[in-house]
Amino acid sequence: MTEEGSWKQLFCHGDYMSEAYWGLEQNLKTTPLYKIHNENSAKLVNFAGYYLPIQYENGIIAEHNHTRNSVSIFDVSHMGQIKISGPMVYDAMEKILPISFSKIAPGQIKYTQFLNNEGKIIDDLMIYRSFEEDHVWLVVNADCTSKDLDHLYSNLNKAYKIELIEDRALIALQGPNSSNILKTFFQEIDDMPFMTADWFNYDNEKFFVSRCGYTGEDGFEISIKDRYAEKFINELLQCEGVRLAGLGARNSLRMEAGLCLYGNDISSSISPIEAGLIWSIPKERIENGGFIGHEHIKKDLENGVERKLVGIKPLGKLPAREGTQIFDKNEKTIGEITSGGYSPSLQTPIAMGYINSDILKSECEVLLNVRGNLIPAEITSLPFVEHKYFRGNK
Amino acid sequence: MAEIYFTKDHEWIKVEDNIGVVGITAYASEQLGDIVFVELPEEGITAEIGKDIAVVESVKAASEVYSPVSGTIIKSNEDLNSTPEIVNEDPVGKGWFYEIEISNNDELSGLMSEEEYQKHIGD
Repeated sequence: MTEEGSWKQLFCHGDYMSEAYWGLEQNLKTTPLYKIHNENSAKLVNFAGYYLPIQYENGIIAEHNHTRNSVSIFDVSHMGQIKISGPMVYDAMEKILPISFSKIAPGQIKYTQFLNNEGKIIDDLMIYRSFEEDHVWLVVNADCTSKDLDHLYSNLNKAYKIELIEDRALIALQGPNSSNILKTFFQEIDDMPFMTADWFNYDNEKFFVSRCGYTGEDGFEISIKDRYAEKFINELLQCEGVRLAGLGARNSLRMEAGLCLYGNDISSSISPIEAGLIWSIPKERIENGGFIGHEHIKKDLENGVERKLVGIKPLGKLPAREGTQIFDKNEKTIGEITSGGYSPSLQTPIAMGYINSDILKSECEVLLNVRGNLIPAEITSLPFVEHKYFRGNK
Repeated sequence: MAEIYFTKDHEWIKVEDNIGVVGITAYASEQLGDIVFVELPEEGITAEIGKDIAVVESVKAASEVYSPVSGTIIKSNEDLNSTPEIVNEDPVGKGWFYEIEISNNDELSGLMSEEEYQKHIGD
């Protein structure tokens, strides 16, 4: 029995039972939660050069369902945290990113993408506008951190200080009970709406807490000093209902939420228009430009794009993974799956992928070529499972 | 009395006379995690030793299952169509994959005993 291949970063063809397969023989980095992972029977894998848990002893489905119904902790310390400060930092960042600080209040976070000159995605990220108005704080994908830093150094002059924050762990607390748990530490977080962040003090430590996540649920990402991470997580685990969840559940949760994974659904050959991320670019930026890749974004919007990211529901029970070819009824290739697997919430297979735009106007039933079996599938809109973000007490 | 043999690729086969029942080991099912689908061979088809004959889909990935011996598939475990999770719950019992009429019993000598298999997975 051998693995056939799934997540690009995690799985490749080979003997999945061997340490070499998981990349565990390499010199891997550990996060400040490494001890906690081991104490909780984590199955550790090589993810972006770190030992990280794909799952704990309850397994991916249980961890997934627990996150949807209660609250889970995810170790996302591998992600890059970058602080950029300097004079008129917002103006400088607007030349790099397709965002508009006139629309971002201090304390707010925006989802955006670094684009290359062709208007394709170098990385997707979260950017935070500080209350002090002197810096921005970015959270970027682990695998992209070094190319993001290169991109920033080549496009910001020496007046700007670019700091990779290497002494802070990043923890995601996700699920409908996450605010009930976190407000026992920081009372103020209860009223914080989705996509805002702030600094809080607890036990003489400074916590940077953002109300956002990658599951479609209400939740938080918490940046804390490495030295304090273990103590804080153990305190969280003492709270009723709080459990650990691994990368496997993180992937199935984000797929149900229709959120793109860099390296799968978006990459340096895909534009935000193709990926359905145009909502993240303000209208005036599209009209007025002044950011890297603008001409191509504008052109894509005017002329349309050849392919678009869609939701795909295979009919039946056979999951269709990334790389699966999508056929029309005449068995002509019309697209490809970029993320696919099993949805624990819907108890059916789900997938995301690109389909030729002209097909989308008419056909909604397609065929998936899974190892030579032609599986009928439905094209659907995203997300598969409704987002439950906290938009504020209004 | 049925005898059980193992492959290095984590399949087991229980043999009585020239009939074998095949599945994946507890170690394999644990490594794969939650199993959500098993693609089983059709009855009547011919299996070749070491060639892929079934596919196990867990939440995290798809994995091929190789036939421990050559022969003809007599029966597939249809319970796996509605409840694939029994492979996790009882991999060497109710979670069997298929029954095979073994064409050449000599092939069994190339397989591992339970003790050899336990050593193989490093217990």
